[in-house]
Amino acid sequence: MAPRVIVVTSGKGGVGKTTTTANIATALAVMGNKVVAIDGDVGLRNLDVVMGLENRIVYTLIDALEGNCRLNQTLIRDKRTENLYMIPTAQSKTKDAVSSDQMVKVCDDLKHEFDYILIDSPAGIEAGFKNASAGAEEALVVTTPDVSAVRDADRIIGLLESMGKSPIRLIVNRIRPHMVKRGDMLGVSDVLDILAIDLIGMVPDDESVFTSSSKGEPLTLSSDTQAAAAFRNIASRLTGNDVPFINLDEPQGGGFFGFLKKTFGHGR
Amino acid sequence: MIKLKGMPNSIVRCVVPEDMPSSELPSAFGGILEKGASLLQGARLVLDFGGRSLSGDVIFRLLSDFVWPSGVSVAAWITYDAASQDVLKRAGFHISEPSIGSSPASTLALQRSLRSGQRVEYRGDVVISGHVNDGAEVLASGSITVLGRLSGLVHAGYEGDESAVVVARCMEATQVRIGGRIGSVEKDETSCRGKNVIVSVRDGAVLIEIGSL
Repeated sequence: MAPRVIVVTSGKGGVGKTTTTANIATALAVMGNKVVAIDGDVGLRNLDVVMGLENRIVYTLIDALEGNCRLNQTLIRDKRTENLYMIPTAQSKTKDAVSSDQMVKVCDDLKHEFDYILIDSPAGIEAGFKNASAGAEEALVVTTPDVSAVRDADRIIGLLESMGKSPIRLIVNRIRPHMVKRGDMLGVSDVLDILAIDLIGMVPDDESVFTSSSKGEPLTLSSDTQAAAAFRNIASRLTGNDVPFINLDEPQGGGFFGFLKKTFGHGR
Repeated sequence: MIKLKGMPNSIVRCVVPEDMPSSELPSAFGGILEKGASLLQGARLVLDFGGRSLSGDVIFRLLSDFVWPSGVSVAAWITYDAASQDVLKRAGFHISEPSIGSSPASTLALQRSLRSGQRVEYRGDVVISGHVNDGAEVLASGSITVLGRLSGLVHAGYEGDESAVVVARCMEATQVRIGGRIGSVEKDETSCRGKNVIVSVRDGAVLIEIGSL
């Protein structure tokens, strides 16, 4: 299998990019793939904390780019999961510390060693996002079902399309079925109707996500919550498996199967 | 692959696929220089980048590697990315479709949707076959027709023509502009939401009527 470089992005901050990156990376590794997750958010690093590896950082990506160490010295192996690695970024630098060309080179170098390279992108549409995305061929766009996040996701999808990323797939995070039922939250089909890209997963709003991030234990390590299953399913779909979507008890026209029918086949 | 399309008035439209990675642009334009040199002789080019975002660096590289060596003149730089339009405008480039034939105003038929942050500005009428999403903008000196869902901002008759109209198949927008008038739809006003509408100026006010499409 050819190595795959995937950027996880959103436009809006706080929608769950880092949590998604950590959980999908872990799930892919548990499935037997060799995976590295790169923290692309220079100056505001978080991936190390969410993955529980913050105490193991010696060198960062910026150290490698500045010639202070070799790239493989920045790799932190997750002792809990075979084949899972992370590359942290610097907290004391700014987005200008990395260029697009450097990110392309880093990704190309890592392709020799890994099956999956996941890049956690910073929020926003400026240089940080563009640099983080530069080395990726594919993109996962994370949004929450609220109008501002969806609008920002739409903007990011337009930019990703113009950068030639393909496929660009959508994760709808923090769904609260009871709020959708009441009409207080956009449903997944509403989000898809606006964004018109393929859905790869929907993750329910679950307290376990918050606690796992705080503890530095990705849910996909061992949890049996619905959110953990949702992230595992996303990882499985990424590898090409046909996994049915979890019924989040969302009211959709034509029932759940009607919803799935509506979900697929969205072109531009 | 970049496509060259001949148009009236010695205009050649150079359509750059939106999904072509930016890193491939120099070699793609280099290929045109090699193979399409005869077609480009004396031509005025419309460089059509679709929704692609163009940075100052990319624009400069296209000028130095393609436009200047080829000797062509560029009639317009077309991109729907609003930020890129601003970069081009500030540098004094034309970003509107050039006039074709004797009639200055024609119709731009856009077979796509516009995403947030994308903008179309056109001297003439505009027909969009897809959606105009929240955060996208369409400005036309004539009328605007949206065959999909209209959630973004449209301004028909932006040069002052209040006889222009806006037709939308599925109205979700909360504001429509025609000429110098601005019509707002209250958030709790649901009578026209999701309906097909015709918006016009009548007696100095913006009027939204439910259509019968």
